[in-house]
Amino acid sequence: MAETLKTTSVGSFPKPPSLVKARQRFRRQEISLQDLRVAEQEATKEVIRLQETLGIDVLVHGEMERGDMVAYFAENWQGFTESLPVRSYGNRYYHKPVVTDRVNYQGPTGLTVESWRAAQAQTKKPIKGMLTGPYTICDWSFNDFYPDRRSLIFDLAHLVHQEAMALAAAGAEYIQIDEPAISTRPQELDLAIEAMEIVTRNLPAHTISHICYGDFDAIYPALLDLPVKQLDLEAANGQFQLLEILRRVPWPKDKELAIGVVDVHSHRLESVDEVKAGILRALEIVPADHLYIDPDCGLKTRTWEEAVQKLTVIQHAVDQVRKEEGLK
Amino acid sequence: MRITTLGSYPKIPADNGPSVRTAIQRFERRSIGLTQLEQTIRDRTHHVIQLAETHRLDVTSDGMIRWNDMFDGVVRDVDNVQSAGLLRFLDNNFYYRHPLVRGRLSFQGGVVRWWLTQAVALSTVPLKAVLPGPFTFLQLSQDDSYHNRQALLDDVVEVLRLEANSLLDTGIQEIQWDEPALAYYPEWNIREVKETLTTLTKNLSVTQSLALYWGSGIHRWIEPLATSGFSRLYLDAVSDTEVVPRLRAEPLPVEVGLGLIDARQVKKESVSELVKQLEPILRVQGESRVWLHPNGGLELLPPDHAEGKVHVLSQVRDAVVTAPRNGGLR
Repeated sequence: MAETLKTTSVGSFPKPPSLVKARQRFRRQEISLQDLRVAEQEATKEVIRLQETLGIDVLVHGEMERGDMVAYFAENWQGFTESLPVRSYGNRYYHKPVVTDRVNYQGPTGLTVESWRAAQAQTKKPIKGMLTGPYTICDWSFNDFYPDRRSLIFDLAHLVHQEAMALAAAGAEYIQIDEPAISTRPQELDLAIEAMEIVTRNLPAHTISHICYGDFDAIYPALLDLPVKQLDLEAANGQFQLLEILRRVPWPKDKELAIGVVDVHSHRLESVDEVKAGILRALEIVPADHLYIDPDCGLKTRTWEEAVQKLTVIQHAVDQVRKEEGLK
Repeated sequence: MRITTLGSYPKIPADNGPSVRTAIQRFERRSIGLTQLEQTIRDRTHHVIQLAETHRLDVTSDGMIRWNDMFDGVVRDVDNVQSAGLLRFLDNNFYYRHPLVRGRLSFQGGVVRWWLTQAVALSTVPLKAVLPGPFTFLQLSQDDSYHNRQALLDDVVEVLRLEANSLLDTGIQEIQWDEPALAYYPEWNIREVKETLTTLTKNLSVTQSLALYWGSGIHRWIEPLATSGFSRLYLDAVSDTEVVPRLRAEPLPVEVGLGLIDARQVKKESVSELVKQLEPILRVQGESRVWLHPNGGLELLPPDHAEGKVHVLSQVRDAVVTAPRNGGLR
């Protein structure tokens, strides 16, 4: 039987102009929270329609309700305050949270369940439940309360675990716990792994962790110990040099790899041929039925048109590879 | 004791004031033109310099308001290298476009020179240029052309020297070479680094300093690099707690800067604690040979906190000046 080669997406999508406007109007108190939620749901439907039209296999809801992947949780949990914006690159800024008290839920668990459930209702294809991992939330916040990073990370791990369990209970088949900061400090990799063990303990789901823009050279192959089913890594951004690092050890039979094949921080549209070449290189390392193809990272920094174009190139490249390699 | 900042500063205001972020957004939406964008950048640079004036900094950077990252200006000035994909900048949630070397490097020049000429014209405070050091450039770039580390290093040193030379008549008072990679990564050939940096600094007729930050390996560079042509070493004493004991131990043949103000945490330092830490170093190194500064560019902080850190610098300087020492008030 032919092996399958699946496509997915990492997380965020660009917010359509109608939602950008609604968010601005909500900030100016011109519309209600309910009106904003309606605008978010409409945008989510559009994101799902696009992915279905393109034929993507495992979908995301696009994170229309979120501004930033860390700030979203900080805004909704206790123990954080919001700082003025800090630049992360180019002209991109984020409100870096400040931990000023013990972190905890503000209300009932399941902060992300409602948006996941609304998105899943739009499609028969699986929608990933999207969470940010404890290590990254800690690393991308100022800590003005906890005596050390470890105690903050572990408190956060318990919160993320409860959130993951709530998603699983709601029916999420795939749960992605993003840990882009995990490659920041190789000496803390074990700590991050320990925290992920808390998050994924007894979690009845297909677990994924997206990691990007780091020093993989320093953390591979130790990264394979991260207790998730699938690692989702970026490769296009570094001209696929990551694949040479992955060649160091045979790819484990019990792990999946999702590999980023288009640079989400560049206006340049990749050609189908270069994306195809990247996929074929990845197939030399990971068998097709353990490989997923996606963009390097969330698409929110692209315009809607750019995001569509990049995803279309991916889908065309995957279709050609499937045909030429006898894959489904 | 003198005070300075190290490099970058937030491009947005804490409250009202010129915001480069907003100006770029408006420029991209075509609601303002190039002239207005340029004016905002100048106004923001002026704000950084005014802050230095207000707090009586002895030397300041221009806040590197025009730079996207520490390589940006130099990459624009050098042929056959381009700003490529984003990578994490060491252990920060900040991303730089890594220099991608595509052919033999050659110096074109003009961009950094023009940027600094504009900044000097705005400043009444002595202004320094901040440039990437050759080892950080080498470590954080991608070589698709040389495939020979030594040949690439030699050319990087040469283009950086040409860059530095091109700045000498702009009115800057100092060139600060930033080498966070030497602090951050553990394995370097100390002899090679010393010899290369000596070549880099040789016969450049301007005060030159070396900034080492964001790593625990800073203390091991103090002795070898104290005699490599730099007038002063700026040392991150937050990331490497061995720095302070070393500087307390014996005098160095070079001025020393202490990065005791944490440029990556919002927690405000205690002025009295800082003075206490500085006292023995001032005694050993000599008060006129010691500088205090943040342990990196302040752009990793929100603008209100960045300003607060500059304020702490001046408070500590004032406290040191008035502190009873050696048997009497100064």
